[in-house]
Amino acid sequence: MKTNSEAAGDSRAVLDRAALAGIREAVRPVIEGRLAARRGAEPVRREVLVCHGGSCVSCHAVPVADVMERVIGERGLADRARVVRVGCMGLCDAGPLVLVVPDGVYYPRVNESLARRIVEEHLGAGTVLDEAELTWEGPGGEVLRSREVPFFARQLKIALRNCGVIDPGSLEEYVAADGYRALEKVLFEMEPGAVLDELKRSGLRGRGGAGFPAGLKWQFVRDARGDVRYVVCNADEGDPGAFMDRSILEGDPFSVIEAMTIAGRVIGSNQGYVYVRAEYPLAIERLGAALDRARQAGLLGCDILGSGFDFDVEIRIGAGAFVCGEETALMHSIEGKRGMPRPRPPFPAQKGLWNRPTLLNNVETWANVPPILLRGAEWYAAIGTARSKGTKVFALAGAVRNTGLVEVPMGISLREVVEELGGGIRSGLPFKAAQSGGPSGGCVPASAADVPVDYESLQELGAIMGSGGLIVMDEGTCMVELARFFMEFIVDESCGKCPPCRIGNRVMLNVLERITRGEGREEDLDLLERLGDHIRTSSLCGLGQTGPNPVLSTLRHFRQEYEVHVRERRCPAGQCRALLTYTIVEELCNGCHACTKACPAGAIAGELKHVHRIDQDVCIHCGACLNACPTGAIEAR
Amino acid sequence: MSTVSSELSEQGERAFFGACVQGGGEPIDPEAYRIVDRWIERNPGGRERLIPLLHAVQEHLGYLPFPVQEYVAERLGLSPIEVYGVVSFYHFFTTTPRGRYQLKVCMGTACFVNNAQTICDVVGDLLGIGVGEVTEDRLFSLEQVRCIGACGLAPAMMVNDEVHGHLTPNAIRKLVRRLKAAARKEREARKGEADGENEQ
Ligand SMILES: Cc1cc2nc3c(=O)[nH]c(=O)nc-3n(C[C@H](O)[C@H](O)[C@H](O)COP(=O)(O)O)c2cc1C
Ligand code: FES
Repeated sequence: MKTNSEAAGDSRAVLDRAALAGIREAVRPVIEGRLAARRGAEPVRREVLVCHGGSCVSCHAVPVADVMERVIGERGLADRARVVRVGCMGLCDAGPLVLVVPDGVYYPRVNESLARRIVEEHLGAGTVLDEAELTWEGPGGEVLRSREVPFFARQLKIALRNCGVIDPGSLEEYVAADGYRALEKVLFEMEPGAVLDELKRSGLRGRGGAGFPAGLKWQFVRDARGDVRYVVCNADEGDPGAFMDRSILEGDPFSVIEAMTIAGRVIGSNQGYVYVRAEYPLAIERLGAALDRARQAGLLGCDILGSGFDFDVEIRIGAGAFVCGEETALMHSIEGKRGMPRPRPPFPAQKGLWNRPTLLNNVETWANVPPILLRGAEWYAAIGTARSKGTKVFALAGAVRNTGLVEVPMGISLREVVEELGGGIRSGLPFKAAQSGGPSGGCVPASAADVPVDYESLQELGAIMGSGGLIVMDEGTCMVELARFFMEFIVDESCGKCPPCRIGNRVMLNVLERITRGEGREEDLDLLERLGDHIRTSSLCGLGQTGPNPVLSTLRHFRQEYEVHVRERRCPAGQCRALLTYTIVEELCNGCHACTKACPAGAIAGELKHVHRIDQDVCIHCGACLNACPTGAIEAR
Repeated sequence: MSTVSSELSEQGERAFFGACVQGGGEPIDPEAYRIVDRWIERNPGGRERLIPLLHAVQEHLGYLPFPVQEYVAERLGLSPIEVYGVVSFYHFFTTTPRGRYQLKVCMGTACFVNNAQTICDVVGDLLGIGVGEVTEDRLFSLEQVRCIGACGLAPAMMVNDEVHGHLTPNAIRKLVRRLKAAARKEREARKGEADGENEQ
């Protein structure tokens, strides 16, 4: 990624406090301009922010930005406009996403020809391309444009404050966006005790799943006995369907580095590690570049900002094991061992990496730290509910219209997130449930979607906050099949150390498979509940202890759906293949023989170029024909 | 794992690995050993280097053959069983060669509720291989992965490092056809080159 450090003069020297202040003064107006962007603002110089989040990059955002730069050059617009490559803007579904500043106009799904037009017409001639602008139909049928769209208007960004605003490769832009001010405060103005106090009063709780109070954890590590301590950032993000940690690392890596440095000072540690999963090459690359840059500027290494404090951070790359997100397993993995968890206590705060006291927090938790120290505990604690303070980032995905990242105050209702920010269900089918917390979590049925989202109320519903993956489901999703999916995941990821998890979850999976195949027995539902309870209480680590949650929570809220599978051998959502009847829609069949060739049972007959037919007595309900048909003529009910 | 290794005699370990190696029987690129040497030279330290080193080797070879694992063990002062224990624990490491095109179908939750299973079945049917297998010509290998973080594009699949999103069975048919054509062209180009060299 190219850096945009021209405004500050591209010095590669070690920075001192005066240099930081200079950068802030020089670059701050640019950043403020981006944040305040709105229609009607008087442009002196335009900027096009092109999202380079992982999802937009997959949709070819890089060539879009390249084209824009080239056309700007060709048209001689370089003194009037420039391209900035920023992190995830949130609305990943509409990628590649582009924002023109200061007009505040978003353009979704930009391809290379639209990119050229944006430069020529909007940047060059100052005319907004109305037909290409991001719009949304409001509740009263009115047309909402760009930032008025509820997806953006309803968010409150603290952890994601810089994502989609600054160039993640530019230290100068980070500094201008208040970066490193919190570290300066901690190094030169605050006592470590005061920092701890501030964190505790802010009410910040861990965002990795368990929600443990961050200030208290920092205190434990500071108080633990030992001369060497470590700081660790958990960026393993194992929940399939969560991508906020990845987006923070890709879009604002310096915030995590700054927060870890602060922690190092407060707890008395000189070495940090970020454990990132191997599936996130872009995050690894950008974090690595940011670490190099911080070292070069003297913001990592010896005698940071002349304070006498030394700190450095290294990256450790995971190797694809969900259980390594668990803190004790993660530390074993950093040590070069199999990622097996061990019983706690002793907690990592006492005995962590190489048996030294270790402070381990999640990426999003880290990203919240600098703003809290800068703006104060009271400011933060005023956001959210009584026991869950601040905001939470959710990765909205599944059947919802706008998939992407949203950061909302704690206490917002799930319905608002799904229907207002998410724009409701894409298929038009009714909203059925949302799964939060991934394989360790549970589902919240649509009927309970009005409860405020916080740690406690989700727990009461049998779900958990988890890391913030929120999978929205419509009536086309079968809850039994969903439970089977998660259980398969758990069985696959169980490390095998303790029998309740290794064997118990396997047995639960067998039962679920039986039910989805239409071979379920009446007593199976009770068996699942009993087994689930045993596994929850007797497993060694969080993986096993929470593994049965998706099954138990779907059983609790959708028991009737299980019963229909068992008693009537029917799948109401039409997802369990073995329980469906396959027929051929005559109007769509072109007689291509693709299905006859695919059918392993020889159940399909018909002449070439004539409508085919499925013999229901022979059909084994495997669904092979459904996959093979090029015209979508197979109907499964 | 460490308890097992201490119970096994060195001979036992050799026999175990011997059996594994016979299964593979691939000739190994001698460069693999040099990579290990160079990496160890550049990165001083202890056992915590094992996983980064395995990453480096797999990045070059595409997989981790048993003899190389044994060599890694020797260089790091570990027993081969300990290295194999780590390799087999982590999904990312593989002991079989992969294809020229590594297809990784995302099985994360968002993709799953958007019918990723169908996508995976269609890919497998088209290539005539199952999950975890490689086509005979070593062109394609098929894997399932847990969430590539492209949930906004579900259902999604990675072809080597490139993400393909919003997949449908028809889109996959086209994609596979395109990859096969590209591979054919590549092979012909290479053949042309080889012929050219022969003529000189
Ligand atoms: C099976 C399992 C998987 C976990 N995966 C993650 C993960 O991917 N990311 C994460 O931050 N925490 C994960 N956790 C929670 C961590 O163990 C730990 O509680 C957390 O990282 C602490 O940071 P926090 O206090 O900032 O939340 C996982 C826990 C379990 C039991
Ligand atoms: S990656 Fe571009 S909006 Fe999320």
